[in-house]
Amino acid sequence: MKRVWATRLAWGSLMLILFLLPFFLSETKVDLATEVLIYALFAIGFNLLFGYVGQLPFGFAALFGVGAYSTALIINHFPGTPLLLVLLLAALASFVAACFIGFFCLRLSGAYFALTTLAFQMFLFAVALKWRTLTNGDDGMGVIRPELYLPTLGGISLRSTGNMYYFTLIIVAMGILGCYLFLKTPLGNSFVCVRENETRASFLGYNVFLIKLIGFSAAGVLAGLAGGLFVLFQEFVATTCMDLNMGMVPVLMTIIGGPNQFFGPVLGAAFYVVFQDWVSSLTLYWMFIMGGIFIVTVLYLKEGLVGLLRPRRI
Amino acid sequence: MGAILRVDSLCKDFSGLEVLYRISVNIDEGERHAIIGPNGSGKTTLFNIITGHYKPSRGAIYFFDRDITGWPPHKIARLGLSRSFQIINVFPKMTVYENVRNAMVSKFNRRVNWVTLLNRDKEIERESERIIGLLSLTEARDVPASELSYGMQRHLEMALTMARAPTLVMLDEPTAGLNSEETRDAVRLIRQLTEGKTLLMVEHDMEVVFNLADRITVLSYGRVLVTGTVDEIKNNEEVKKVYLGRR
Repeated sequence: MKRVWATRLAWGSLMLILFLLPFFLSETKVDLATEVLIYALFAIGFNLLFGYVGQLPFGFAALFGVGAYSTALIINHFPGTPLLLVLLLAALASFVAACFIGFFCLRLSGAYFALTTLAFQMFLFAVALKWRTLTNGDDGMGVIRPELYLPTLGGISLRSTGNMYYFTLIIVAMGILGCYLFLKTPLGNSFVCVRENETRASFLGYNVFLIKLIGFSAAGVLAGLAGGLFVLFQEFVATTCMDLNMGMVPVLMTIIGGPNQFFGPVLGAAFYVVFQDWVSSLTLYWMFIMGGIFIVTVLYLKEGLVGLLRPRRI
Repeated sequence: MGAILRVDSLCKDFSGLEVLYRISVNIDEGERHAIIGPNGSGKTTLFNIITGHYKPSRGAIYFFDRDITGWPPHKIARLGLSRSFQIINVFPKMTVYENVRNAMVSKFNRRVNWVTLLNRDKEIERESERIIGLLSLTEARDVPASELSYGMQRHLEMALTMARAPTLVMLDEPTAGLNSEETRDAVRLIRQLTEGKTLLMVEHDMEVVFNLADRITVLSYGRVLVTGTVDEIKNNEEVKKVYLGRR
């Protein structure tokens, strides 16, 4: 009972700190915090697939990119679309893309799965790069943050750093909470069954392929949502949101943070973004250092950074 | 009583190597049927084809007169045909309770349910506890499967097989690796659990087979040598030859 209260207290204070952040941080730091939140959602989606369903995709940024480009295209071509609807459509677009990509890739496993997802990502990357009339190629497209209309509060401008932060915080918190509860349902349990023993699961009546596909598309929803927020945050979208680098970002975040704990990727995302911000101000070769940290984590810190906080796995 | 499972001239070759040739067996409803045969005679392959793990090269399988040839394992399992494995095949990192619960989630068709919380599901909890009690695993309820003793793992394997309340139970060497005392317990348990159900088993231990089975099918080099009651098999000259060699 004591522990439950301790956990609740910890969550309460964390939410309070997150809520008060804009009051004692500079604008640049609040922007950084917004970025952390977006990547956290992206990494949580990735870990739904990697940590729970047990499938490692290298091309997960494809779904991030689909969400990002859908958001930008809808805002630019259909101005006046309500913001929440835009994000919903972005998530839906990623969901559909994930169903399609998963349908082909999930027939394979291991390295073959990882690489075929990467192939799809590179295909989408090429489309975004070459279809200049639609996407403006590698010059990218500027996007103006639309106002957020709420039923009783009326229009809220997201132009200010603080408002964008709160908007992101609410969407990300809902996404992560949704994912957390989602994994506690029988379906979430089915993911783990498939990860632990595919053969046994299928002889117990589990349709392994279907369950993997559902996992992939659910992860796609979160990635699409993150992609949409990313575009709103940057007010810009370019092919970098689904290039090779971006494909590795959630992998690094999740492994560094710890894939065995639900909140591991969140910690990984925070570490990655903040560390990158700091080191890249010191040296151009920050990726070299990040790579080193990744190797050390894989070799000596199997549970990731959360393993340091909580030595035993629950 | 009619045949619950009909295997009709089933053939299987693995890239040219003929493992099963024109196997035809009828399993009657309510009987305990054993498949015996020397090593490499195709017993486990036959099991794997019936349960959908492999596809047959030729021939057909009927379960309650429904053609299930080439169906995937999960669809066959949902029809009420459940199997155990020769080599323990459970969810090693999960506890005994979680293992059994996985089977219950499937039994109650909640596999893709994403609107209720699993640990609030009283029906699944109750049924899982019942199966755990039935297999005398209560004390090991919260122990990860990989940390159980071998005998207990066999029990868990049985629990997963029986949890879906199957109409046809298929056991692949349920007493493999058990000592004589454990084997006696296992026989008693199998007899108790398969009461009123149909059992098809592969077994090496003749004592177990003669003790449990109503009818026996003998396989040799991928062919059916003979099918008959225990006494018929005991006195069959050909079977003696296969098992004991020429004198």
